[in-house]
Amino acid sequence: MLRSDQILATVEMIQKENLDVRTVTMGINLLDCRASSIGQTCRNIEDRISERAGKFVETCNFVSRKLGIPVVNKRISITPISFVGAGFTRDDFVALAISLDRAAAGVGVDILGGFSAQVEKGLTMTDREYIHSLPEALRVSETVCASINIASSQKGINMDALAMLGPTIKEIAERTADQGGFGAAKFVVFCNQPGDNPFMAGAIHGVEEADTVLNVGVSGPGVIARSLEKLISAREADENGLKLDEIAEEIKQTTFRVTRCGELVGRQVSDILGVSFGVVDLSLAPTPKVGDSVGEILHILGVDAIGAPGSTAILAMLNDAVKKGGIFASKTVGGLSGAFIPVMEDAVLAEAVGKGDLCLEKLEAMTCVCSVGIDMVAIPGSVDGDTISAIIADEMALGMVNNKTTAVRIIPVPGKEVGESVSFGGLFGASPIMAVRNVGKSSRFIGWGGRIPAPVHSFKN
Amino acid sequence: MSTQMIISVMSKDRTGIVADITGAVYELGGDLADLNQSTLGGYLTMILFATFDEDVSPDMLMQKIDTIDSPTTLDVVARTITTAPDPALSELPPKTYIMTTQGPNRKGLVYGVSSFCFEHDINILDLATTIKKGIYTMVLQLDLSRVESIVEVREALADYARDQGLQIVLQHHDLFKVTNEIPF
Repeated sequence: MLRSDQILATVEMIQKENLDVRTVTMGINLLDCRASSIGQTCRNIEDRISERAGKFVETCNFVSRKLGIPVVNKRISITPISFVGAGFTRDDFVALAISLDRAAAGVGVDILGGFSAQVEKGLTMTDREYIHSLPEALRVSETVCASINIASSQKGINMDALAMLGPTIKEIAERTADQGGFGAAKFVVFCNQPGDNPFMAGAIHGVEEADTVLNVGVSGPGVIARSLEKLISAREADENGLKLDEIAEEIKQTTFRVTRCGELVGRQVSDILGVSFGVVDLSLAPTPKVGDSVGEILHILGVDAIGAPGSTAILAMLNDAVKKGGIFASKTVGGLSGAFIPVMEDAVLAEAVGKGDLCLEKLEAMTCVCSVGIDMVAIPGSVDGDTISAIIADEMALGMVNNKTTAVRIIPVPGKEVGESVSFGGLFGASPIMAVRNVGKSSRFIGWGGRIPAPVHSFKN
Repeated sequence: MSTQMIISVMSKDRTGIVADITGAVYELGGDLADLNQSTLGGYLTMILFATFDEDVSPDMLMQKIDTIDSPTTLDVVARTITTAPDPALSELPPKTYIMTTQGPNRKGLVYGVSSFCFEHDINILDLATTIKKGIYTMVLQLDLSRVESIVEVREALADYARDQGLQIVLQHHDLFKVTNEIPF
């Protein structure tokens, strides 16, 4: 039998430290659902999703009950919709969003991702129609999440697409003004978007994937925070003192345990459903719940204000230790795999914005060393579209040059300014509005259009 | 034909007990099939299977053990068994669960939890308890093979935990294996 202390440590992780499997996401290929009419295409898509995912939620719940570990979200990702809807108009794309929303509700999943396009090198007519459909598509649907890849380390940054996105994000927020601009929380712009990420809003079922695949997202900032607190208090009286490399080791070992739980759940669900298992995404994804915060870990590790000098270095160590622990624990690791810093979804980060400790520029610096990017940041609704595009351009450049995934999910909250707050409730959280400096000073840059060429180190062939 | 025996030993713990007992088995020409031993609070208990030639009886083994010059009292029971031990029974069944219960220490806690298991046709495979700062913790390894509905057991367990003022968690053994063991 396992030792009692090992058992109690695991029980404690799950009961007291918020360990859960954050999401099991079923990726479904929809490419062959395309028919000659939009009506038939929608019917094919709904049939496909109901056929593949009909027993998905039930099976996740069964495995969760059997093992005694919570599976928080059950989600679906689909082939980027611009490929499925090639040649369709913006109205057709809105019809597709409605159809996807209905299909997601039919099988009982929380969110469906993949209302997406990949335009890092150029825009097709379809891609333009898709972008124009976004404000209405995200207004009329509830569970559908959208994303677009506009940059990669291989291809550079598509500045034509980027120039369209700032005004589009503003329009999305304005069409959902009655919900504080919530539509923009369902849309994320990527550089180097992975095709197997199970986390929303950026999950897609990449065209390189098989017909149906299960990907699992494990999380657990709360587990890491509690294990670090225990380690620090146990070593307080130690005359040699605790060093950072020992702290990194603790994070690594805790991540190993967390990841193994996710892998176990994912493999059992995929075995029952007869679906191939894809990857475990080892991300520290916070939730607004107290004690489930990445910001709290930064506090524990020694900065008294989130955003104070040292915050980036701590985050770099955290992100790396998470990857190292997880890679050994899982047969296949993929997706984003790192620490997320989504401001609205992390109560400690949101509080730091309110106090003025954390500014946009520091957040941008922190995204250089973690996944994913400027995520769930509420900014004043008055910020112009070009400035939003330029914020995205900076973040895309970081990802492109550093060969990593970066993303922007920013919410220009209609009618609100710095000093006010916005709340979306549930896992989407709440935050004070973050100030944007130098508004309206980047329009000449955005006006150029064209492409920023890929960096020299992308030429590896 | 041979004689199969099951032997149980209890003693105050000291060095050399396993050597003493297995030495007696060896000197009577016995072949040790399996052995399990455990210590608790300075005492040792051991259970072993052994195979002897037909003419060796439990009494002969007991007499042999009596000749051991032991500084501690060895309480030994030996019995012949008709069927050979089944190695498959030493493997954990697929429905192995771990139950942990915690609550303020009082009389009858183990009795209550084990009675709950009995009433629900749950076999206890292993059990360990600790007491720390007045909180009594039980860790039970359980076989739920004969349980039809895990959901019903969980509901009954939640009611029991509430009535008794205990925190009880029931989780599949696999979860503990993956978080604490590296597979080979």
